[in-house]
Amino acid sequence: MVIVEFLIKLAQGFGIGALALATGLLFGGIGRKIMARIQRRYGPPFTQNFIDLFKLFSKGSVSHGWAFDLGLVAGFAPMLAAIMFLPIGPFTLLPSDSSLIMIVYLMMMAYLGMAMGVLASGNPNSAIGMSRALMLMAGYEVPFAAVIFSVYLFSKTGYLTQIVAQQSGGFMNWNIVKMPLGFLAVEIALQGMLGEKPFDQAIAPAEIASGPMVELGGKYLGFGMIQHSVGLFLETGIVVDLFLGGAPNFWIFIAKQFVLYFVVILVDAILPRLRIHEATSFFWKLPLFLGILQAVIVIIQGGVLNV
Amino acid sequence: MNSLLALLIVPITGSAVAAILHRYRFVERLITFLTFCGTFLFLFGIKVGDIFTWHLDFLGKNVEMGLQITPLSIFMLYMTIAFGIVLTFYNLSERSKMKGFLLLLTLTASNWIFMSTDLISFFFAWELMGWSSILMIFGGKHEEKSRHGALYYAMMSIGGSYSMLIGIFLLSNLTGTFSIQSNVSYLMSIMSVHPWWVLGMVSLFFVAFMVKSGIFPFHTWVPYTYGEAPDGFVPYLSSVMSKYGVYGFLIFLPLTLNEHVPSVFGLAWPNYVLLWFGSVTAVVGSVLAFMQDDVKKLFAYSSFSNLGFILAAISLFTPIGLTAGLFHAFNHLLFNGAIFITVIAVISKVGTTRMSEMGGIWQKMPLTFLTFFIGIAAAAGIPPFAGFGSKWMIFQAMISHGLIFATVLLFFASIASFLYLMRAFHAIFLGQLSHKYDNLKEVSMIGKITEVFLLGALIFFGILPGFILDPIDSIVSAFGLKPLPTSGYEYINGFFSSINMVSIFIVVIIAFIFGFALFAVVAKHKKVPQEDNYTAGQIPQDWNLTPEMYQFGYDFYEPMDKELAPFLKVKIDGFFKGFGESVKYIGGAVKEIFTGNVQIYTYLAVGGLVIFVIAGWVVW
Amino acid sequence: MSEWTEIVDYFRGRSMWMLHYCTGCGAIELPPTMTSRWDMERFGITPMATPRQADILLITGYLAIKTLKRVVYTYEQMQAPKWVLGFGSCTINGGIYWDSYNVIESLDKYIPVDIYIAGCMPRPEAILDAFVKLKEMVQKGEAKGYEKYVKNYDWYKANQDRVLKRTSPVLKEIEKVTKIG
Repeated sequence: MVIVEFLIKLAQGFGIGALALATGLLFGGIGRKIMARIQRRYGPPFTQNFIDLFKLFSKGSVSHGWAFDLGLVAGFAPMLAAIMFLPIGPFTLLPSDSSLIMIVYLMMMAYLGMAMGVLASGNPNSAIGMSRALMLMAGYEVPFAAVIFSVYLFSKTGYLTQIVAQQSGGFMNWNIVKMPLGFLAVEIALQGMLGEKPFDQAIAPAEIASGPMVELGGKYLGFGMIQHSVGLFLETGIVVDLFLGGAPNFWIFIAKQFVLYFVVILVDAILPRLRIHEATSFFWKLPLFLGILQAVIVIIQGGVLNV
Repeated sequence: MNSLLALLIVPITGSAVAAILHRYRFVERLITFLTFCGTFLFLFGIKVGDIFTWHLDFLGKNVEMGLQITPLSIFMLYMTIAFGIVLTFYNLSERSKMKGFLLLLTLTASNWIFMSTDLISFFFAWELMGWSSILMIFGGKHEEKSRHGALYYAMMSIGGSYSMLIGIFLLSNLTGTFSIQSNVSYLMSIMSVHPWWVLGMVSLFFVAFMVKSGIFPFHTWVPYTYGEAPDGFVPYLSSVMSKYGVYGFLIFLPLTLNEHVPSVFGLAWPNYVLLWFGSVTAVVGSVLAFMQDDVKKLFAYSSFSNLGFILAAISLFTPIGLTAGLFHAFNHLLFNGAIFITVIAVISKVGTTRMSEMGGIWQKMPLTFLTFFIGIAAAAGIPPFAGFGSKWMIFQAMISHGLIFATVLLFFASIASFLYLMRAFHAIFLGQLSHKYDNLKEVSMIGKITEVFLLGALIFFGILPGFILDPIDSIVSAFGLKPLPTSGYEYINGFFSSINMVSIFIVVIIAFIFGFALFAVVAKHKKVPQEDNYTAGQIPQDWNLTPEMYQFGYDFYEPMDKELAPFLKVKIDGFFKGFGESVKYIGGAVKEIFTGNVQIYTYLAVGGLVIFVIAGWVVW
Repeated sequence: MSEWTEIVDYFRGRSMWMLHYCTGCGAIELPPTMTSRWDMERFGITPMATPRQADILLITGYLAIKTLKRVVYTYEQMQAPKWVLGFGSCTINGGIYWDSYNVIESLDKYIPVDIYIAGCMPRPEAILDAFVKLKEMVQKGEAKGYEKYVKNYDWYKANQDRVLKRTSPVLKEIEKVTKIG
């Protein structure tokens, strides 16, 4: 019986992984189309990212050793693992472990693995790219921490499933209405997490020859695309669960994620790239202030839970 | 023989034997290792509640001294002695400059500290530990610098000990007894009446503990000393000796359970002050770490930054805070030990501690690389390795108390730890391999066994943290608090949620299997050497491009220096240097009196006599 | 098996990435092709930063011998399948620099070319026409220049060496000039 349950869960897990990847790639394609239309041109078809991924997996590539291979596989595998704990619409694969901080730290494992892989290529451009990516992370994670604090204290729980459940019953119950400043802070932090302008210093194609991706070709670049797409799904999914009330079915969930991504793309189309130290210190000013203000409001409203 | 006494006698005899056979290096190290093993065996014979007392006639007073096993002491004893076994086993392979007999003296002192029930033996053991470690630091690689490091450490450690001595005698004068238990209860009883006095008394003790753990502002000795100490001793210094401060804090923190202490933001205000000390230490350590080029100094900053986390957690003195802090103490021992042992393995092969001169070592020392990788994954708090559970619980503790600034600071320190860990990882192990390291070899079999063991321990205690959380629960109950509920061995129960580490581990493994399957199925790759790299079309040979030139190891986070420059203007080190300069100046001025001129002395003697007669102190 | 190759070629044709390497004066026609006026992204073609990531190498215009050395190095860093587009008359027969001591005359002798685009220089419409033709060739399985290079490597290498003999390293005493510190 246990074997059958395990196999069912495995199949469901594969389904969720495929859903996340397909959604992420679709969002990427739609994003490119929207960016093109903003720039008054036609743009590629919506399915372009799928075609790109297929082409990448059929193309030859170079490898710099087993650390390179292991690192790049470790770049996307933990992302796929993290989705298993995320409430997607009504369905969560492993609801008893859907702790938000745990999912955030599991994303960092993907980061660490990818860093190991690209740095093992021995190219200083990748090292510069990773150093910038890490400095940016030291920027956007700080307001995100304040937001996590507010949500935990407000909902008095750390399970994403329960945070979603507390927002059921209509639009006025959503956390975006109850904690608007926190939503603003996390929206700005999301821009940094996704690596979209003005916070794409890590990739920076013209400055550092695409940074970490400099020696990646073929399937390795495909893994990078999987990491980016699944990360997109995961991060927008977390924000939807925290502030936009989850969703009763998959379509509405994906639609809400797309609304967030749409705002990200619009900002990306307009703004130029900041310098890295300006980007990091920006996160420590306005978004952090909003996050802390929200946290103070939550403390005053609800009190703390001394145990 | 009484097992408690055995824990003291065995290391002392081992130390004596090792000192006699000091000339034969390998024999000395072997004796050190065997003594640690023997002490560990005696640990199995003791259980919580064992007591051993004796009396001492001291200045006409009858002082009762004793040894006792509390849940906290058995936890600390197991932790420190087990790590000592691993370290001394590793040192069997090295031509290490660590003097084994001094390490065994430190072990004796360490066991005594954890077991003593009275302040006299506590102080004696504390001093013994301090002096033996100071002597051990003298044996570093550069004579001059290791002397400087040892003296810096000595001054701060002795300063702390003297403040503790003043505290001991002031306190025992009031209570009439030296027993730790009765002194602490006395302080608890008068806390509501004379809070400032109690705080002043406790601060005298806390200075010693803060020095030992490297808490801000007494952290300045840590990078100097770790950088200059002999390599074989540094893991013990950072993993084990910092825990003495933690033990000391835990002796006095029960004071704050008193309801009459005024509270700030829901915490008793001494706890709140300690919380800030801990958070600031965590941030200062992390931020200064990612600017370092010397690898031992970088991990020295990392070490006391983690002690800041531990102090911030235990200062809350609630079940979740205590559990988180003690759990992090254990995890810190494990991952810090793994990191330092791999780092000293690399240093011994490479011959330099500057990270900008290393690079690409992963190709030559793959097992060391893997252990270091898992070590830094644990240090960054990544599930399912050892460090995740404690960091997770610390954040839950902070959030549950509504401490927003502490949460933000500690989260920032955690992310900054990721920064410096990646810097060390890249500059040492990844990137381009210089041709001068073409003949580098992996560590010997003993080193390999140590590394595999540490690797396994990091994964094992990550997946099944219950083995550590159960003893910690008994410690929490011993302090009179209600412990957190425990489920199976694989569960970590926090305040807001609980997680099953085994299921996370299984999900990650399945994802990795899928990833490797995908890797194998799609188009094949071609292996290229490190010279075949993207160089913007330029031919490397035309430009004499050597691997050292193409490795980005120096000044890795240069943009952050600009951002953080305003915060780094305050230099605590400068404060202590200035303090030392003023003491030297005053001493120099006093020295002026002793001119050696007999005439001056006569004038002084006559003048002094006249003053004394006038004042009536001497009857003429 | 051939159906699988057909499917793979179909996808390859619709997502070709070009290396953003502007070798000569013809590169001035690339920005208009990439941007809003003649949008080449709708064919799935975007510029990429490094040869590891790129499929198409565009030799835009005349090729000086020093540049030929870098182009050959870059071409060899790209991975299969890869295609070369000769851009402008200079790659076909030397163009207006046919009598220069420093410029190669026929690109096909040094790296295999799949499509030549005539013109001096070709307008963006011509470039897009060439891209569409390349896509059709790829989807039919006809663009196999990279296999030609591997099979006839000795012939190509002999041609390259004969011409590159004239580019001895510019820096005399390399060690002294590139010493650090």
